[in-house]
Amino acid sequence: MTDRRRINGPSGGTSAPIFSKYLAKTPNELLERPTRSRPNNALRKMFLKTGVTPSASGSAYLELEASKNPKSTAPGLSSPSTSGLKLTCTVHGPRPLPKSAPFSPHIILTTHVKYAPFATRKRRGYLRDSSERDLGVHLETALRGVIIGDRWPKSGVEIIITILEGEEDQWWGDGIGHGNTAAAEWGMMSVLSGCITVASAAIADAGIDCVDVVAGGVAAVVKGSAKGPSPNLVLDPVPSEHKEIIAACIVGYLPSRDEITDLWVKGDIGHGNQNEDTAQSASYEELADSAVQAALGSHRVLIAALKETADVKIGRS
Amino acid sequence: MTSAAPQSTLTFPRETFEKLSPHPYLLAHLQQASASSPPTRPNGRTPEQFRTPHINNGSLTHAEGSAVVRIGDTTVVCGIRGEILLASNVAGYRVDKSGTAPSTKPGYNEAEELDLLVPNIELATGCSPAFLPGQPPSTLVQSLSTRIYSLLHSSSLVNGADLRIWYQPPDLSDPDRMRDDEEEDTPEPEVKAFWTLYVDILFISLDGNPFDAAWAAVLSALKDVRLPKAYWDPDREMILCDDSVAESKKLQLNGLPIAVTALVFRAKEAAQSKDKRFWILVDPDTFEETLCDESVTVVVDGEKETKILGISKAGGTTVGSGQMRDIMELAAKRSAQLSRILNT
Repeated sequence: MTDRRRINGPSGGTSAPIFSKYLAKTPNELLERPTRSRPNNALRKMFLKTGVTPSASGSAYLELEASKNPKSTAPGLSSPSTSGLKLTCTVHGPRPLPKSAPFSPHIILTTHVKYAPFATRKRRGYLRDSSERDLGVHLETALRGVIIGDRWPKSGVEIIITILEGEEDQWWGDGIGHGNTAAAEWGMMSVLSGCITVASAAIADAGIDCVDVVAGGVAAVVKGSAKGPSPNLVLDPVPSEHKEIIAACIVGYLPSRDEITDLWVKGDIGHGNQNEDTAQSASYEELADSAVQAALGSHRVLIAALKETADVKIGRS
Repeated sequence: MTSAAPQSTLTFPRETFEKLSPHPYLLAHLQQASASSPPTRPNGRTPEQFRTPHINNGSLTHAEGSAVVRIGDTTVVCGIRGEILLASNVAGYRVDKSGTAPSTKPGYNEAEELDLLVPNIELATGCSPAFLPGQPPSTLVQSLSTRIYSLLHSSSLVNGADLRIWYQPPDLSDPDRMRDDEEEDTPEPEVKAFWTLYVDILFISLDGNPFDAAWAAVLSALKDVRLPKAYWDPDREMILCDDSVAESKKLQLNGLPIAVTALVFRAKEAAQSKDKRFWILVDPDTFEETLCDESVTVVVDGEKETKILGISKAGGTTVGSGQMRDIMELAAKRSAQLSRILNT
């Protein structure tokens, strides 16, 4: 069923361009695949700014730098190998609920997460799909415990995140040959972590009382490279940089109270791995602890960005 | 309006005045003009003053062309993605030989006939409290998308020739045969497919004048588009694209049309206005948009001399030919300023 409220384009249907190098049997992995140049426990550089949307009560913009392959010299058109993460978040409210709404003793939190049509390699539609709804629910869980909701009875607040550029689920070359089975939406984990951090900044910018600023962090267990065959624990993984991700974990973490508001683990570490190589392989607890470490890193950026905004605001008034 | 009632001792701060009685607030600002100082709007600009535009191109990875345009507090992101429409998927499209192609007919606009430009505006990104997600596209969004769509086609900005993907069939005829009927034997190149450009316009922040900002973003993104070289692979029977940047090409745009919007603000009662009954405010912000019901949008292309590509006027009865001429002059000035930024 076509959406008659939008302009839909040719009725014959269009397809995304296929680049000739996608068809090569063995993509030139050494040249094309981005590699992780940071140490395992280092995060990507993060840019965070509040107040990008003056018409909203609070807003923030977050950007993670794109990883590059140091060996590839001439960037092609088809695969600017990875994109960084670009998110904007706006907060509207708190404002009174409509008269028809039932009484609520605390604030009602609504979250919307939407990918822009040009956010991913495959063009997205304008209607929200299930993964976007899933992200919205996770974000709500992560934020609900942070806001002191009792201070605004009968009110609602809307948190809207637009993903201008998303994380990829895998390196494009990995999709060749074995279909799309290998990609288990690993990119979603980094996106959710970014969503939590940027929403937290926007909520603080809107001046909504919170018990602490929550920060998101991701950690993953990846299959080792040629140098070290055993699985590695990495913070802030970029899915396209790793051939195979075994498990990933994302947390929403409150540093001053040492509490976790949202925990989501995907993938299977299994006990079998642990027996094989007890010294190196990770347990779920270690994975979660690493995710908390990553969250602490983004928390530092978050605090610095909020301090900067506060200084500007105080200086002005 | 406090100045109209001098006996009153009641005073408010500016913000309260603005919220309580917005119309007199704007009027009071505009009437403060004297011989030395021109009237100023609440946002500090004179009625003829535009906001300074900032444009940044090519920041999106997955788009063939992109632009971020910021005009005051209105911020727009426009991303253009190219997708391929096979000629065989077009209903009623014959195999297009260069001699008999419909595109050789005068007045044939390929992009329009085949719907190759697909602009869509999204306001439900939280850019303004008036447009929140979860609802179907609002009337404003639908009308803005349609206006962008019709302007793209009526200005024939994009060349249909840039969007065609040609294929030259190899000469498979028997080399032994004599060349007495060679005009039949050399196969003519045919159009195998078309590029379709999806133009997606997202508002990050909205503070008035969405159409001008969206159009500037579309224009800047179109200038940034780099389509890869596409060719028909007869063995695989599909269109393939070449990765190299050197082989790719930019779009040849016809002209550089710029949209300029102005509002007409009217004093409500004759008593309120001393001598002047109305003001023309260019590049309005949201506060001014809520107070005016007459708006004029002109699209001009001023590369050599100012050509008018479109005029649309809605509501009100104030603007006559004299005011129209003033707006045109302002639009020409704005067009010069914007095209300087767009061309850098």
